[in-house]
Amino acid sequence: MGQIYYISALWAAHDINKRGGLLVDGKKKLVEVIKADHMSKPDQCKKICERMVLQEKVHILWGTDGSNMMKIINETANKYKVIAQNTASIADELQDATNFSRYAFMSSFSTDQVGRGIAYYYSQIRKKEKKFYILCQDYMFGHAMAEGFKKGLKEYFPQAEIVGEDYHKLFLTDFAPYLEKIKGSKAEVIYTGDWIPDAANLLKQARQMGITLPFAHIFLDEPNFLHEVGVDGTKGLVQLSQYGAENPNFKTPEQIKYYKTWNNLWKTKWTAPFNTRLFEHGTGNIGSYTQQTYWLLSVIERAKSTDPERIIKVWEGDSYQYVTGKIMKMRPCDHKAIQDLHIFEFVPPEQQKVSFNIPPYYWYQGCSNVGPTFTVPAEKVLPLMDRNLDRCKGKNDWGE
Amino acid sequence: MDPKTAMYVAQGIHGLAYGMILFLVASGLNIIFGMMGILNLAHASFFMLSAYFSYQFLSMTGNFWLSLLLAPVATAFFGILLERFLLRKMHALGHMGELILTVGVSLVILAGVKIFWGTESLPLKIPPFLKGLVSVAGMDYPVYRLFVIGLALAVLAMMALLLYKTRLGKIVRAAVSDADMVNALGINMPLVFMFVFGVGTWLAGVAGVAIAPILLVFPGLADQIGMDAFVVVVTGGLGSLSGAFIVSIIFGLLSSYGVQFLSSLAPLLMFLFMAIVLAIKPTGFFGERE
Repeated sequence: MGQIYYISALWAAHDINKRGGLLVDGKKKLVEVIKADHMSKPDQCKKICERMVLQEKVHILWGTDGSNMMKIINETANKYKVIAQNTASIADELQDATNFSRYAFMSSFSTDQVGRGIAYYYSQIRKKEKKFYILCQDYMFGHAMAEGFKKGLKEYFPQAEIVGEDYHKLFLTDFAPYLEKIKGSKAEVIYTGDWIPDAANLLKQARQMGITLPFAHIFLDEPNFLHEVGVDGTKGLVQLSQYGAENPNFKTPEQIKYYKTWNNLWKTKWTAPFNTRLFEHGTGNIGSYTQQTYWLLSVIERAKSTDPERIIKVWEGDSYQYVTGKIMKMRPCDHKAIQDLHIFEFVPPEQQKVSFNIPPYYWYQGCSNVGPTFTVPAEKVLPLMDRNLDRCKGKNDWGE
Repeated sequence: MDPKTAMYVAQGIHGLAYGMILFLVASGLNIIFGMMGILNLAHASFFMLSAYFSYQFLSMTGNFWLSLLLAPVATAFFGILLERFLLRKMHALGHMGELILTVGVSLVILAGVKIFWGTESLPLKIPPFLKGLVSVAGMDYPVYRLFVIGLALAVLAMMALLLYKTRLGKIVRAAVSDADMVNALGINMPLVFMFVFGVGTWLAGVAGVAIAPILLVFPGLADQIGMDAFVVVVTGGLGSLSGAFIVSIIFGLLSSYGVQFLSSLAPLLMFLFMAIVLAIKPTGFFGERE
């Protein structure tokens, strides 16, 4: 995962630098990306954050997967008064009354939005399946993902039935007992918040057991294991994404240029570890992290300064358009991003041209991938707001 | 068979299959930790290394059987090197040294895997002839899981034959009881221990190849099963192959029926069982040494 974050941030920085850098504090300055590995260990995370701020004198802490890691990054940002951008940790708690920091901005989507977005899709867009089985990891994040989905079903799909709900330990070896239970429950869809490796092992083992039920998810998109499972096994997967657009995917010359530049460099220039299938398309998660970084850099440019107070002033309530045309808004009171979300239905390669509308007209040949795409409007999935946060008192869900 | 009964029977077979996977991993650890008394915290890393070797041999030859043969041998080769050049010297200094050394070795293996194969997951499919489902008692069951059950039984039989029906097995068992006495009889004990360590890592290798198509092959693979294997060895009794086998099956069944009936407690049942067994018999089910 770390390599994905790194190349995403690096891409945006490199692009800005090629154009001469950012005009800040009266001078054109180049953007420097410094990589640091938290190793998913809290003590290491704290150590590297402090090193980045105190020794490397960074202006922005940009991170990361694992909400416990992001919490440490936000705390460090708060302590030393530098900006933290959260592009990949999706726990709502990061911006609640207890953990909120003026210096921390969550430009990613969040667990509550994911659950409600998927529920909205099944109730208002797809309107077919009604029986759901929830299978998530047994810790705070997994339970939050499940709660979001249950809340969404209650809100948008009261006639839906949750036929089973289980939470498994992290890094589970054998999913067969859970899958057997799911088979017996007559579920029509498996909703999971699992991330890799659990997500991959769950899908692999389900297909090996002959269970062809669709999974509704956000993390079952890593191309290596999708190829392992194959075209048939990945057909019908439903993914909620924070990087998407109404079909066809490529609409504007800028977007096509961005895609082709990335893909050509991947084909011709990049070496290990960036020359693998994982980095073939600068879309999906990579696209999201890249665009979130562009947003940050745009804010800095408009603030004309790396001074955190000036960045905060610009970013609170800011609107920004991604290369896909998607509009992002930063809710001023709790620094959570408001955005349309997109649902992808995975289809075999020959049907992927509805989404991938430029040559070669498919994302991948060895697995099903993004086909029909649907928008979940921002107003249906406004980020959860903690009313106990003083700054949000008296505000509506748009933060106004 | 009505669907509910079929589900319960299927859970039983799932439990058996998982138990066999556990046994494959734990049997190697049992030999090294239980018989030789070496605390090898790198055991699960050898298991992971073998999964990567399996990927490599499969990509090169396209032959699953060849990879099942070669990957564990390659893993055992590295195991033998570890025993010969590092652990042998450390063994005399006690468990603390072994512990630190083998943790270090596991980190080196992890770094090596990242350097040679990268940090991404590797695609390792079930071979075509072991793919699909087969009818068992009127239910469809994955062929590959049945293959894993068969493989574990074959390994158990082979190990039992080696330990109880060969001269080498007698020497190993005697060495476990009194290594000095066996040494005094003119048997080259360092060579015997190197062989035993090699067999232990070979078993980890067999487990790695068998599990690779079920799990994602990535640098975190070792963490997924290492702890469970230790619990099996301790509960079954140090050095007892039959203890490891029986406890693996009990854990497998506890895991699958636990998920079925006591889902939220399922991960704890194994540890609860271990606590009860050790409270009654501190040497484990079939163990004689503490």
